[in-house]
Amino acid sequence: MFWQKEIETAPHSEIQKLQLRMLNDTIERAKKSKFYSKKLQNVNQLKNIEQIQELPFTTKEDLRGGFPYDFLAVDLGEVVRLHSSSGTTGNPTVVYHTAQDLQSWANISARCMYAAGARKNDIFQNTMGYGLFTGGLGFHYGAERLGMMTIPIGPGNSKRQTWFMQNFGTTTVHILPSYAVRLYHSMKEDGIDPKKDLKLKIFFIGAEPHTEELRREIQELYGLKAFNSYGLSEISGPGVAFECGEQDGMHIWEDFVIPEIIDPDTLEVLPDGQEGELVLTAINRRAMPVIRYRTRDLTKILPSPCACGRTHRKIARIKGRTDDMMIINGVNIFPIQIEKTIMNIPEASKNYIIEIAEKNYMDKLSVKIEINDEAFDGTLEDLEKLKHKIETELKSETGVSPIVSFVDQGTLPAAEGKAKRVYDLRKK
Amino acid sequence: MPFHLSVFLENKPGRLEKIMKVLSEHKINLSAMSLASAGNFGVVKLLVDDPQKAFDELKKQKITVTKRKIAAVVIGNVPGAFYDLLRKLSDRGTNIEDCYGFLLNDGKTAAIVLEIENQPEAEKVLKDIDANVLDEDKIYNY
Repeated sequence: MFWQKEIETAPHSEIQKLQLRMLNDTIERAKKSKFYSKKLQNVNQLKNIEQIQELPFTTKEDLRGGFPYDFLAVDLGEVVRLHSSSGTTGNPTVVYHTAQDLQSWANISARCMYAAGARKNDIFQNTMGYGLFTGGLGFHYGAERLGMMTIPIGPGNSKRQTWFMQNFGTTTVHILPSYAVRLYHSMKEDGIDPKKDLKLKIFFIGAEPHTEELRREIQELYGLKAFNSYGLSEISGPGVAFECGEQDGMHIWEDFVIPEIIDPDTLEVLPDGQEGELVLTAINRRAMPVIRYRTRDLTKILPSPCACGRTHRKIARIKGRTDDMMIINGVNIFPIQIEKTIMNIPEASKNYIIEIAEKNYMDKLSVKIEINDEAFDGTLEDLEKLKHKIETELKSETGVSPIVSFVDQGTLPAAEGKAKRVYDLRKK
Repeated sequence: MPFHLSVFLENKPGRLEKIMKVLSEHKINLSAMSLASAGNFGVVKLLVDDPQKAFDELKKQKITVTKRKIAAVVIGNVPGAFYDLLRKLSDRGTNIEDCYGFLLNDGKTAAIVLEIENQPEAEKVLKDIDANVLDEDKIYNY
């Protein structure tokens, strides 16, 4: 049932004691970095865990500003790995790992996969991108730590993905939710029914926000269980929080991070159950401890104990990011609201993009959806009805009136990494 | 039961061309068509000499296509002929979803293609009014 029963089921008071000790150690280690030597110079040992609220926040801008080495808290000789964001705008966010960091990251990743039901006899296919992106290597080492035979296939090439699944009897897969839908359609075109022809049993889905509806759809298409995961490279990568068999919220590993929820405007810490921005303190990192990091991800901490027996608290599915909120003629919309709406309309295909343009000083929201080959009955009338239905549902979900149009199948950009759904064409 | 093809297309340069290229490359002849658009997208109906082959080849190119049942009625190429047919159909409460026509080889007659996918009763009505309904084979290769 458990990868590390003792720590996963420890009473919360014990976890808090451990957190206080680890946090104090982290503060001391962090002070060796240029950035925190200044920021934390007046901070002494904390006496209780609530005092974390007295520590300063760290932002994405701080990490960028500290490029390349201001956050490094160990000698460069101790560092064995670097991960980095793409850095298309300004300095990339660079994250360093010592050998011990990689081990503890692999351990929590293994713990996640074990909680979802993966065991050492499983065959694991990793369709996430390898390289600087943490999604691939993070789970790769976690899966090996768990003991699964790992196929490091990387993203794309659906025919090859399917070929490996068929020939090696893949049972567990790490996959982007958007790619899972595409892969299914590729299988279908080749006459493969994953329910009958493959041995798939668990999908680990993550790296992009998605809805409960999309998860159910994936489970339905493949006849398996899909588990939501959460992670971010600034802390380590995937594996920070993960669903257990209950599939109701993600356990956030409190011996690895200390989670807080804040109001992103007032910066005030909110009680469990209230929605706000997730703030994380990494308490088990050596090369680059990050303290009260503002993730910009919106979620809430679920207060109730979990039926699975784990005592680490759970966070709700990520609702969106404070920075992917779209403002359309003054109305705040999250892309996930649009996804949820489309998922609930079975005749609509699941490949879509959102375009925001500006015309005569008014914002115009367009949703382009690939034509659903199976649902097309050949009449313009039914297409117009479907268009109208989607527009009405979107209006009631978001409060703005989007323009829906259909495009040819296979013409929207294929999702290799994270699916890019939103195209903001407004002049900045 | 004869059928024509209904193809989804975006209202953009090159989309109709792409469909015709597939037909051309497989030596499929187009006898008639009709196109309806709703802004950014539309639907084109194609009457071809080998609809099954056209259907398969279009599918292979990931073009969204479906089959729709039709009936083709021969009428005279004279004033009032189409009116006559329509009057008889509407007298019997038969609605026409989609239709188009083309002149037949002799120049004295024309074929009117009626889409009857959602009107199974139309066949019987056409019989009742003694319409000159073309055989399936004749529709594709007149």
